[in-house]
Amino acid sequence: MDSNQQRFVEDALDLLNELDEGLMQLEENPQATAPLEQLFRTIHTIKGAANMFGFEAIGALSHQLEALFDLVRQGKIPVTDGLISITLQAFDKVRGLLKESDIQKINASVELKEHTEIATHFLHQVDIASGGMLSAEGAYHKNEVATFYIKISPVISITTQGNHPLVFIVQDLESVGTAKTFLQENATGEIVCWELFLTTTSPQPELESFFLFVEQDCKAEIHKLGAGNLCEDEEFNQAVESFVSEGFNLEIFQALAATIAEKNRLTAPFSDEEEEEINLSRKKIKSNAVIKVSKYKIDELLDWISELIILQTQVSTIASASTSNKLRDAAERLEIITTRLRDTSLEIGLVPVETLVTKFKRLVRDLSRSLHKKVNFLSEGAETEMDKDVIELMAEPLMHMIRNAIDHGIEKPEQRRAAGKSEHGTVRLKAFNSSAYAHILVSDDGKGIDSAVVLKKAIEQGLVQPDAELSEADTLNLIFHAGLSTASQVSDVSGRGVGMDVVRQRIHELRGSVSVKSQLGKGTSIHIKLPLSRSIIDGLLVRVAEARYVVPLSFVDRIDRIPYQELNLEHRLNKTVIVNGEPLSVFSLRKHFHEESEPPKTSDIISITLEGITKGLAVDRIEGKMQAVLKPLGDVYQQQDYLAGSTILGDGTLALVLDPQRLFKLADNKSLTL
Amino acid sequence: MKKTILVVDDFISIRDFVCETLEKKGYATVGASNGNEAFTMLTEKSDEIDLVLTDYNMPGCTGFELLSKIKTNPSLAQIPVIFLTTEANPEKMMRAKEAGLNAWIKKPYRCETFFSQIENAIKNG
Repeated sequence: MDSNQQRFVEDALDLLNELDEGLMQLEENPQATAPLEQLFRTIHTIKGAANMFGFEAIGALSHQLEALFDLVRQGKIPVTDGLISITLQAFDKVRGLLKESDIQKINASVELKEHTEIATHFLHQVDIASGGMLSAEGAYHKNEVATFYIKISPVISITTQGNHPLVFIVQDLESVGTAKTFLQENATGEIVCWELFLTTTSPQPELESFFLFVEQDCKAEIHKLGAGNLCEDEEFNQAVESFVSEGFNLEIFQALAATIAEKNRLTAPFSDEEEEEINLSRKKIKSNAVIKVSKYKIDELLDWISELIILQTQVSTIASASTSNKLRDAAERLEIITTRLRDTSLEIGLVPVETLVTKFKRLVRDLSRSLHKKVNFLSEGAETEMDKDVIELMAEPLMHMIRNAIDHGIEKPEQRRAAGKSEHGTVRLKAFNSSAYAHILVSDDGKGIDSAVVLKKAIEQGLVQPDAELSEADTLNLIFHAGLSTASQVSDVSGRGVGMDVVRQRIHELRGSVSVKSQLGKGTSIHIKLPLSRSIIDGLLVRVAEARYVVPLSFVDRIDRIPYQELNLEHRLNKTVIVNGEPLSVFSLRKHFHEESEPPKTSDIISITLEGITKGLAVDRIEGKMQAVLKPLGDVYQQQDYLAGSTILGDGTLALVLDPQRLFKLADNKSLTL
Repeated sequence: MKKTILVVDDFISIRDFVCETLEKKGYATVGASNGNEAFTMLTEKSDEIDLVLTDYNMPGCTGFELLSKIKTNPSLAQIPVIFLTTEANPEKMMRAKEAGLNAWIKKPYRCETFFSQIENAIKNG
């Protein structure tokens, strides 16, 4: 990109901030005209500048949105949530792309095209809703292709070599569509006239406006020949060829255009417009068609699928013990289909996190105002899908985190300026999926968490021993501790210390994890990881003595087999086992829960990495992979939080599902590691 | 002597870009970010400015308001005005012409169109 484009990117990013602000104001007060005018002008400026500096994709998108807001200005359509959110989302995308500063990528962006289509579709829908009033009134520019005959005769002496604007205006005119131009010059090279056959989507008044400011220098005639792209028609082209010798006759050409239109109507299965309609509805069926189903029905479906999975596991167990190949084949196919059925049905319950994002935007705006801070809210991955219940349960904790980020993280504008940062702070919400998890990152570029202060407070409040040696990560994790607040002044917004512990609690209830990273002066980032399914997991079935356990497969890094003797480390100083050439701190299920029975010869070590630290889980034997349907444990087991639940195995017996994270924590707390 | 063009646009990137382009072509330029600012500049040094090149949609004072102010002020009325804008509404163009506008250049413009219009306006204005 050249320096002008670079500069445009910077200025446009500023404009986008204004735009967000305007949208929020409009959302709050849909009748207000001042924010509307401001918003319209901003979109208009973005469009103009984008086109000027070669960002056509952004120009096209802004054009559609400008058209929508123009209708709002004219009072033809109301401000709706839908309008606000498509605009916010579209410009969020623009912002994201601009930051990457890659013009090729921006212009080739499929997402920008999608947002443009969404805006076009929105316009189409409001038009339909108004009974076609908008397009009939000409309230917006409906792109209808038509072919025109245009004759321009200069009344002054000009040549094609001259520098008269008219020469260039004709060239500009040619570029608004497909044109066939015939130039007549006299013997001295003076232009007698231009004659153009032009196929374009620009309406006649717009074409006429090209000549408005050169009226005194030329005579321009513009005639509409007919609808459609006549220049593509062979018959029409023949007529155009012969026109050179025979001269132009409007009636003949218009009659010809009518015949061609009729012919096309008969041969083409659908008119352009109908075709567009059909394409649109097809697309909708694939991507947008939505039916509302009660949550209860989906839950019930998932329950039955859970039962089906249990049954399928039983069938597989029976089949594997059988000698019948046919039975095995059938059992295998059953497994494949059940897995697909499981995946599909799990997806049914998932919804995009988008709904949350809109709420947060509002929150950020209101908060930053009341706290006199300048804050941008950026969201990424709003299309990431999560369980609807999980989203609802996470709304409050996330709001709390965002509130914290603005209240404690982002500094006041003057402080930011003093620290050499831009006055606008940024709070970012990023969501994405990986394997069986949904990740949510909430980050800010504020002042960061001072771990020394956290530690001091924790010691003051007796949460930590004064002589305790805590790692940076452990110290930061103290912020999740009940009763700890580092805010020296409690504000209305947050800082009563009743937040982060509840946040962590909620995340743990959902079998997720949360970690925090912070750099003083640079900002804070909180990473939440949540399982997609609340009840069905892929697991590794393991045996320890007579009992069987399930380890969620998503935690498993690798498996190694070592002689059981190596686990007898009671008398050694260094309590790690060398596995795969690396020392590994190992937790043995047998030693903790099944010490009494006869030890096996070998032990399988499952390596599990949690929060960057790899630990080993020792079991007697790995039995295989399985789908586990989590069943809650009875009240008696509620205290054993290292158990995520139980599951029914193929042979009808029960296995306990482990929660490796809690298990290791338990080991740490009680110094149980061997 | 170098001809001086007053470039009015609230969007800095565009204003800078337009000024640079004009300067490369041998014009002197001055910039203003809206109609009011431009008008103040004009009244202060009306003799020094040969052409006003302005955006249409601007906060505060639009291009059209600026045009009307110039054309109704006897000491400024002779200065040619050109709109450089994304706006393409034929009715607005018509009204601007009636108010005395010299040319209307649509953004994005082609270099040749741009310069020929400017030269033409300065020559005839």
